[in-house]
Amino acid sequence: MRVEYINPFVEAAFNIIKEVLQTEVNRDELYLKKSTQPVLGVAAIVGLAGDVEGRVLIDMSQETAIKVASTMNGEELTEMDELVKATITELANMVTAQAVTKLHDLGFKFDLTPPAIITGENMQVSDINVEALIVPLGLPHGKVEINVAIRERLGA
Amino acid sequence: MKTTSDFPSINERVPEGQGNDGKALKVLIVDDSMFVTKQISQILTSEGFEIVGTAADGAEGVEKYKELYPEVDLVTMDITMPRMDGVTALEKIIEFDKDASVIMVSALGKQDLVKKSLMVGAKNYIVKPLDRKKVLERVVSAIK
Repeated sequence: MRVEYINPFVEAAFNIIKEVLQTEVNRDELYLKKSTQPVLGVAAIVGLAGDVEGRVLIDMSQETAIKVASTMNGEELTEMDELVKATITELANMVTAQAVTKLHDLGFKFDLTPPAIITGENMQVSDINVEALIVPLGLPHGKVEINVAIRERLGA
Repeated sequence: MKTTSDFPSINERVPEGQGNDGKALKVLIVDDSMFVTKQISQILTSEGFEIVGTAADGAEGVEKYKELYPEVDLVTMDITMPRMDGVTALEKIIEFDKDASVIMVSALGKQDLVKKSLMVGAKNYIVKPLDRKKVLERVVSAIK
């Protein structure tokens, strides 16, 4: 997978998280995973289809999701309720919108699915024949991983 | 006899959400995100606007507008929604009331749809993430 696909998502996540949470964000080293990977507990997933295809996960623990949603709502939330899910979905929406604008400007044409939120413990994600690039972002609320598995569509 | 306290101070700022008659301006929020609805609602109520209704998709938004009419001064309209998108809902609202004040709420990268909305009759637009100051500026320019 070409790194140029993941960079817009990482930059967008970095910028948007910094802006909406008004906090410093540290970017850790990018790593690559080929096989099945664990999911941290709350994953917003967005699908891509067009010149490129695949998916983007914005992944964090439930505890981090609740803390992030609390800051974004300006109130203390204590459980993984509908408001927390709606808030994380919106965060994913903003990140993907910014990243996709950049990718469209670079000439890639594809559509996005609306974000879906998946929650649970001991979850894994498998992407057949596509390696995933993962960039962990460190923030005071906990770790957020941007996990991108995209490939160019054959014949596109 | 009138005392000084009976007169409004010239330094007293009138909240943006207060109309010329001193009453709160009425807003309908159309957005499929509970988070965005809450955020817009908090920003606008803190400036004296009154939220008279919310809708989670374009079709419900049109229905609510017709139900509430003429008691709506402003509609905030998300662009991407299930069932009926915001641009179609805008068209239907303008068809029903050509003077409707509708402001579009968009994620980045929807410039074509924003342009289309402005051509159809939206008064202004806001790009997410929402910034309190920008939201109020755009809303005020849409209704005044």
